Amino acid sequence: MPNAGLKTIIALSFVLAIGFLLVILSCALWKVYYPLIVVATYVIAPLPNWICSRCANPDDFVESSGGAIIDLGRFCTGFLVVMGIALPVVLAHSDLIRVEAMIMSIAGGLLIYGTIISFGMFFQEDQEF
Amino acid sequence: MEEDRLWKFRRPEWLNSAWTRNAGVYASGALFSIAFYVMLDSAVWSKSSRNGSDTHVTFVDWLPLIFSSLGMLIINSVEKTRLSGDSFSYSGNGVAWKARVVLFLGFAALAGGMAGGVTVFVLKFVVRDVAMPALGMGIENIIANALVGLSSVVLWVSQNMEDEYSYNLSL
Repeated sequence: MPNAGLKTIIALSFVLAIGFLLVILSCALWKVYYPLIVVATYVIAPLPNWICSRCANPDDFVESSGGAIIDLGRFCTGFLVVMGIALPVVLAHSDLIRVEAMIMSIAGGLLIYGTIISFGMFFQEDQEF
Repeated sequence: MEEDRLWKFRRPEWLNSAWTRNAGVYASGALFSIAFYVMLDSAVWSKSSRNGSDTHVTFVDWLPLIFSSLGMLIINSVEKTRLSGDSFSYSGNGVAWKARVVLFLGFAALAGGMAGGVTVFVLKFVVRDVAMPALGMGIENIIANALVGLSSVVLWVSQNMEDEYSYNLSL
């Protein structure tokens, strides 16, 4: 990883703000507040991975049950990431939100999730040895 | 390892990397998510203003997906290494036999879910001559069950990769 300095933090926070702006705008423009669920989805998406990676040691080949918990965490993360995209599509297909709101909330949600992931990647260095 | 190979074609090297395995697990979760939301889409659409017909998604439509998911849970809960224990010393008190019975139940639930999806599609939508926008609910039911099956296949394959990977590493 390149050295993550002040510029990275500023850029990431800008991207996060743009993502939140897009999601909130997609709700407020049409006064339908369903797309806010997308934010909650992407915020909790990395959580299963983090929790399960604490529960087991992936380098432990003697204990064979260690990999299963990590796989469960990855499965849940994959589920939640696709949920953030699928939920606006479901809402738009049933005419609960507009198609424009769907596009804006998907784009905003992906920006938020990308910020969380890249933040985790940039500042993971402290834990490694 | 080379002598007891069964197939003519060797599997490519990139299949054994840890990266492919992780991507497979993520992809399996993504496929399961798509399956669930395709089914949820048909349920939400059935109650929305776009559904002009009087055909609605009820609990019966959800049953095949529940059975498919149960089958997937059972299949992927079985420890894979117990399955290949041919010798008596490894499989002990018939653990391989038990694993095969449980696995059979899992595959039966998965196939039963798929067949149930087709049954709901035929009995509820095709026989009653439901027109196209409402017919989509039945098609989505079949797609959801097929995606659960695909998801469990991907998870199964990527979990089998793990054994090869750890084997290569320990040598």
